[in-house]
Amino acid sequence: MNQTVTVSITEDQRDCYQEISNVAMGQAADLLARLLDVKVILPIPVVNLIEVNELRMALSGIENTESVSGVCQGFIGNGISGEALLIFNDTSFADISSLLKYGGITDSSLELELLMDVANILIGACLRGVGEQLDVGFSQGHPVVLGQHVNLTDLIKAKNYRWTKTLAIEINYKIEGYDINCDLLLLFTEDAIGVLNEKVNYLLED
Amino acid sequence: MTTDNSSDNFKEFHSFMGMLQNLDVGLVVLDREYNIQLWNNFMESHSGLHPYEVRDQLLFDIFTEINEEWFRHKAECVFQLNTRAFTTWEQRPYLFKFKNYRPITGSAEFMYQNVTIIPLDSSVGVVERIGIIVYDVTDVAVNRIELKAVNDELKRLSRTDKLTGLFNRGYWEECLSKEFKRAKRYEQVSSLIMFDIDHFKHVNDQYGHPAGDAAIKNTADALIMNMRETDVAGRYGGEEYAIVLINTSAEQAKIFAERLRKHIEESVVHYQDISFQYTVSLGIAELSDGISNHEEWMEAADHALYQSKEGGRNCVSVYKGK
Repeated sequence: MNQTVTVSITEDQRDCYQEISNVAMGQAADLLARLLDVKVILPIPVVNLIEVNELRMALSGIENTESVSGVCQGFIGNGISGEALLIFNDTSFADISSLLKYGGITDSSLELELLMDVANILIGACLRGVGEQLDVGFSQGHPVVLGQHVNLTDLIKAKNYRWTKTLAIEINYKIEGYDINCDLLLLFTEDAIGVLNEKVNYLLED
Repeated sequence: MTTDNSSDNFKEFHSFMGMLQNLDVGLVVLDREYNIQLWNNFMESHSGLHPYEVRDQLLFDIFTEINEEWFRHKAECVFQLNTRAFTTWEQRPYLFKFKNYRPITGSAEFMYQNVTIIPLDSSVGVVERIGIIVYDVTDVAVNRIELKAVNDELKRLSRTDKLTGLFNRGYWEECLSKEFKRAKRYEQVSSLIMFDIDHFKHVNDQYGHPAGDAAIKNTADALIMNMRETDVAGRYGGEEYAIVLINTSAEQAKIFAERLRKHIEESVVHYQDISFQYTVSLGIAELSDGISNHEEWMEAADHALYQSKEGGRNCVSVYKGK
């Protein structure tokens, strides 16, 4: 039997999630900057409690009509589970390939390599950042390629939503001087939100 | 008491090591210079090399199949940034070229692998060693690859007319609509030809339907032989064909249409012991400002085709506007 639980977050909690994301995203951006030797423009993370079927709307940094490529990676720790989604605008690849330090490798799979490299760093560092602040160690599953050169709606269509609500943190990374646009989305499942709220309340008390 | 405790700890540690040894996942520890320090049973069994044979050996000397530049790129991120790195079989099918675990019934020749590289010994903030975890994902990979092949074939079949091998009406119209939008957007010239076999009913009545099919196939073959690779040809109806000539004016399209018309006029269809000849009528419409969607474009070409029919058949007409 499905138990209907009303999950919600208060304004204070939202601010706190945003602050946590800010710190984590900064750490991730720093690593990306070191990997690619570029300046990463830091955005303001967007925290939202959304219906899973509204996922599309949470990806405000990516235009609807564009062709995109994406990777997702599951994570879990201390009863908090979710997925990280990294979505690249395909026009980014032309620019970012010039940043790559692959030297002699000119495979057609270069874009996939790049996608995975950036996913490894951004997802790994963001999760570690969030985990450190909440005192949770996350285990990460193996990343899965969602699709390459497809439209956004096809990329994130899920046929079987077991969660109705998700806490979504969207971080839109841009790199100075390059036409690079990628969206990192941290999605927490409905049953994780309660645990997360408790952890955040603890931080808010101080 | 303390000795008991430490012996318990030792037993625990020993059991844990036993589990790691027997884990059906490859585990390798490398030092900063990429020399192999440790590996488990999985690695030993699949490579056929004992741990003492590979200890302190450079990874790339033992496994020459590893693309050194690629692997170093991944691993350096782990060393320098102290983060994990994941690679999937979609990037490279394997890191270590091991045999498929099911050499008899498995269809893959080698083991597909997902690999995780983790930082180790980072107690002082400096990563001194890294661990490689190798997962056998052959079944997943093979299923995915086979599914894709089947889907691609289904897609091809759903787009193709079985008799002629040309695109079927549905898919061809989709292509026409795309070309219409593309040409309009970039203000490029593009022409559409629609044509059909003259007195096709007569061919069927006189020689039978299988002979009619042979004529339909012969026409498609002539079309394929004369068209360019970028042109999009489809079987529109029973004996009706359509072709989009990209970056082509009506004048250039007329040269193509005439060539095709002559080719078909001169060809002889052989079906069993019957031989016969037939002709086609063609209509051309160049995309112009007056045409506001792909349906209107088709109407224009159809109108020109009607003119060819009126004009005595076995000829080419160009749409001149309303």
